[in-house]
Amino acid sequence: MSIAKILEIALKTGRVTRKYPYEPPLLTSEFRGAVRIDPSKCWGCGACVKICPPNALALRNSGKEATLEYFVGRCIFCGMCAEVCPAKAIEVTKEFELSSTSLENLKSRVIHRLTRCSSCGSLVWTEAELKSVVKSSPIAEEYAVLCPKCRKSKFARAASIRIGVGSE
Amino acid sequence: MSSVNIARALKAIKRSIWVYHLNSGSCNACDIEILDALTPYFDVERFGIKLVGSPRHADLILLTGPVTRESLPKVVRAIKAMPRPRLILALGSCGVGGGIWWDTYSTIGGFKKLEDILRENGVEVDRVVYVPGCPVRPEAIIYGILLLLGVVEQKVKKVEVVASES
Ligand code: SF4
Ligand code: SF4
Ligand code: SF4
Repeated sequence: MSIAKILEIALKTGRVTRKYPYEPPLLTSEFRGAVRIDPSKCWGCGACVKICPPNALALRNSGKEATLEYFVGRCIFCGMCAEVCPAKAIEVTKEFELSSTSLENLKSRVIHRLTRCSSCGSLVWTEAELKSVVKSSPIAEEYAVLCPKCRKSKFARAASIRIGVGSE
Repeated sequence: MSSVNIARALKAIKRSIWVYHLNSGSCNACDIEILDALTPYFDVERFGIKLVGSPRHADLILLTGPVTRESLPKVVRAIKAMPRPRLILALGSCGVGGGIWWDTYSTIGGFKKLEDILRENGVEVDRVVYVPGCPVRPEAIIYGILLLLGVVEQKVKKVEVVASES
């Protein structure tokens, strides 16, 4: 190709170079960036942790509190956590300027307080999950604050009293 | 040379940073994004960034992939061959945290473990910038290099929130 021809093409095309970071990036509507967990909506149920392919999400239970940790450095931006979240607490953002000089800055945590069974004192689960269960299903709060084992025995006792075989 | 004045060195290479592309077993998507960043469309030569063919000429290594066992000795040798200051950009979710291969037998799983191995081998790394993405966008690579050079501010920070009671 002659230089005249190249010049002709170059003049016709004009400047194509993007000026980023001095202009907005080229983000399409389909682009998925980092996810954001809304701490006021999250229950701490762990569904997102189960589905996350690279284990970028982790739920740790220290006995006093449960911590949902999101490590964006390992996230593959698949959006599956947002799909499975029953509380719709996860939002897929378009954030991609995630560079950091330390790994610690790439982590975000949501800390949940845990509740204990009001009868036997064993661990039930997070306060937020308990609240949303009481709100969304026809379960009395006196049952909801029990662990599954105590709930079963309490229900069996109540049922047996009703049909007249109970001892009380 | 055991220690380098990193601030002075960064100032000296700010307008002409030479990069070497080191693939440690990535799926190739991150590598294609690096090539994208080098095209006239994104034109990283605006910032004096230039691709070189040998780590001996490089100021910065663009490290992609989760570092497979097979590539580990070569990666260590390539980083060792760099002159000081050794700057590394760990690219992609593989480079930063091992990605979906973080706990497989055939990879060492991300930069953190590589850093330990480098230290054991007496190879000091002066500065690392982690650039998440799968794959990393060309803009994210540009942003990462500019963060390393101190041109842009870091946006992410550690967040810890207690779930609200309402
Ligand atoms: S409520 Fe949603 S974000 Fe919270 S742990 Fe469950 S799935 Fe994850
Ligand atoms: S987007 Fe995918 S990889 Fe990232 S946290 Fe959600 S499920 Fe995990
Ligand atoms: S971060 Fe994603 S795109 Fe990049 S090498 Fe790993 S799997 Fe491939």
